[in-house]
Amino acid sequence: MIEIKNVSFTYADGTKGLIDFSASFPPEHIFGVLGESGSGKTTLLNCIGRFLTLQKGSILIDGENIYNMKELDFRRKIGVVFQDLYLFPHLTILENMILAPCKVQKVTSQRARIEAKEMLNRLGIDDIADSYSAQVSGGQAQRAAIARGLMLKPKYMLLDEPTAALDAGTTKEFAEWLRELQEESNFIIVTHDVPFAKSIASRGIYMHNGRKIHSGNIQNIIDVWDTDFK
Amino acid sequence: MFTINSQNPTVRFILCILLFLIVVYPISIYGQKEKSTMTITSALTGKYPPFSYFGTDGKLTGFDVDISKEIARRMDVKLELVTTEWDGILAGLLAGKYDVIIGSMAITPERENQVNFSMPYYHSGAQLFIHRDNPDKVYSIEECRGKRIATGLGETYQHYLEVNYPEVNVITLKSTAEIFTLLEQKRITGFVSDRLVGTWQINKSGRPFVPVGDMLYREDIAIPVRSENKILLSKINKALMEIKEDGTLQEIHNKYFGGGKVQSGEQNEIMPNIVIIRKLLRGFAITIGIALISIFIGFVLAVPCGILLTYRKGVLAVPSMISRTIVDFIRGTPILIQLLFVWMGLGLSPYIAAITTLGINTMAYMAEVIRAGLMSVDPGQARAAQALGLSKIQRFRFVIWPQAFRIAVPPLMNSVVALTKDTALISIISIPEVIREAQSIISVTFEPGKYYFITAVLFFVVTFPLMKLAGQLEKKIKQKGYVYD
Repeated sequence: MIEIKNVSFTYADGTKGLIDFSASFPPEHIFGVLGESGSGKTTLLNCIGRFLTLQKGSILIDGENIYNMKELDFRRKIGVVFQDLYLFPHLTILENMILAPCKVQKVTSQRARIEAKEMLNRLGIDDIADSYSAQVSGGQAQRAAIARGLMLKPKYMLLDEPTAALDAGTTKEFAEWLRELQEESNFIIVTHDVPFAKSIASRGIYMHNGRKIHSGNIQNIIDVWDTDFK
Repeated sequence: MFTINSQNPTVRFILCILLFLIVVYPISIYGQKEKSTMTITSALTGKYPPFSYFGTDGKLTGFDVDISKEIARRMDVKLELVTTEWDGILAGLLAGKYDVIIGSMAITPERENQVNFSMPYYHSGAQLFIHRDNPDKVYSIEECRGKRIATGLGETYQHYLEVNYPEVNVITLKSTAEIFTLLEQKRITGFVSDRLVGTWQINKSGRPFVPVGDMLYREDIAIPVRSENKILLSKINKALMEIKEDGTLQEIHNKYFGGGKVQSGEQNEIMPNIVIIRKLLRGFAITIGIALISIFIGFVLAVPCGILLTYRKGVLAVPSMISRTIVDFIRGTPILIQLLFVWMGLGLSPYIAAITTLGINTMAYMAEVIRAGLMSVDPGQARAAQALGLSKIQRFRFVIWPQAFRIAVPPLMNSVVALTKDTALISIISIPEVIREAQSIISVTFEPGKYYFITAVLFFVVTFPLMKLAGQLEKKIKQKGYVYD
């Protein structure tokens, strides 16, 4: 369970990212965080990922404050895939995946390679193992970035706008693919793509202007969204 | 010039002892071994044709060499010739590195204070030479008011003209070849040079130049010996007298100056092609060697410097600011001035000065390139690496640096090309690199166009593949999408 308690975050230029935000993300297989752009979704993700320092409030993972956790322990709880993915362009997809196991967890390169290949096989993208990020399609890159994140076996996996760079057809394929991945981790998907959220998540929250508006069943959230904006 | 002129007796004493140990002692031991046949050691530059130069066979030859041999023969001693730079030739004599200088040294009051001179063995002096067509209608230096008259850079004629003929417009040029080219194109009225050397060079190069008017002044050329070597001096004088009286001196003189115009094609007798090629290649090897060492040092320093430049805030702000100041200063001042400052100002030896200056310049330019490379890596890359649990150092080492370096490679290659070309500047601090060698070849062959072009081609052979490689790498890097914009 990720618990976010009364978190506020204001950027240096005065923009308010989160205002007294509280929510809890149960270990659902796929949990949706919905909101328009500027609603504070990415700020929330950066706070949970410890990329921003909280100005107020606290975030707990399974009862433990994330700021009291050791770096590696924390990274094994929370994996993050950014909207821009940030695959390392100088490394092949396989090398991208084994970098953290080899350098952080000190797994031998040989073992890491075997594990990475197994992972790629499971995710059905073993054909791109030796490709560079510039050589693969948007959908493949998205999957590769998720595969890289899953190598540390995090309990929670945060995905920021995973469909932003995908067209409608690819999005549908990606949603199906993601559903099959449910055993690997608990996915928290930040998105403004309502049909996509509806197709994969059963529960979620709805954010607006740095605040939580609604949480619960995904259909309920979408109903509230529709009354707000349509 | 090395002289012991300290007023402090202790210092003087220590210097004398040192001098004895360094110079005189080994020579005196050597002298003992050779007791059976007496040897006379004579110094000359080997760079003053036709008086002393290296012939086709690579052996020292010339007017002074012939005179030396004649003197030794008549003194019944073995002759040993030592070549040394003109700059320190008198200091070497005083330090006992050799016994005499039979190397076209003029008698001057300053020199007479330090050494004793033999009787003169030839006379020469400053002479005005003009184009045979004489478009300016001048017949003596007095008529050259407002006219452009050339002298070699650093030669005494420049100073002499400025003092005695202030109304003459004195142009100083780096080499005789340049002077000849300008006079041939009639862009100058004439030039002042040594009468004998000038005549010989004109004959050798077959230029339509002639001497006009009297010598500006006359120089007596003689043989200096250390003042305590009175017996040696009298033996030399006796030998010189004999050479003069039996016509040998005239013979030798005619051998070098009597023949009139030298056949064309014979100029390669003085420097055959194989010697030219060897000189150019050796010079180029020095150029490339210095470039490589400087590039290596520069790059090793540029990496930390470039990294520091990106830390404008935080703990490293002060070192970063210092790096920034150094880099800006070096990039904002002419490399020529830096080179002269390090060489003359700091008094470093030419090679050390060249490597230091070029190395630090490489550092400054490469540091800027590395900084730009680091800045062009998307900050998201570091965040993604952080999300994978990589430490700060690991993020830099495995994610940021490899990308930054790949981005920096093409501009780094361009720095290498620029630096390789900049080594041309070190010729001015007396390093015998390729341009200086070319100039020395031109001073004998009088073909500036040909040898400067060959030198340029040598540089191009090295820089062209580097430029091509940089271009290709740049293309590759763009394809791989490292650069974030």
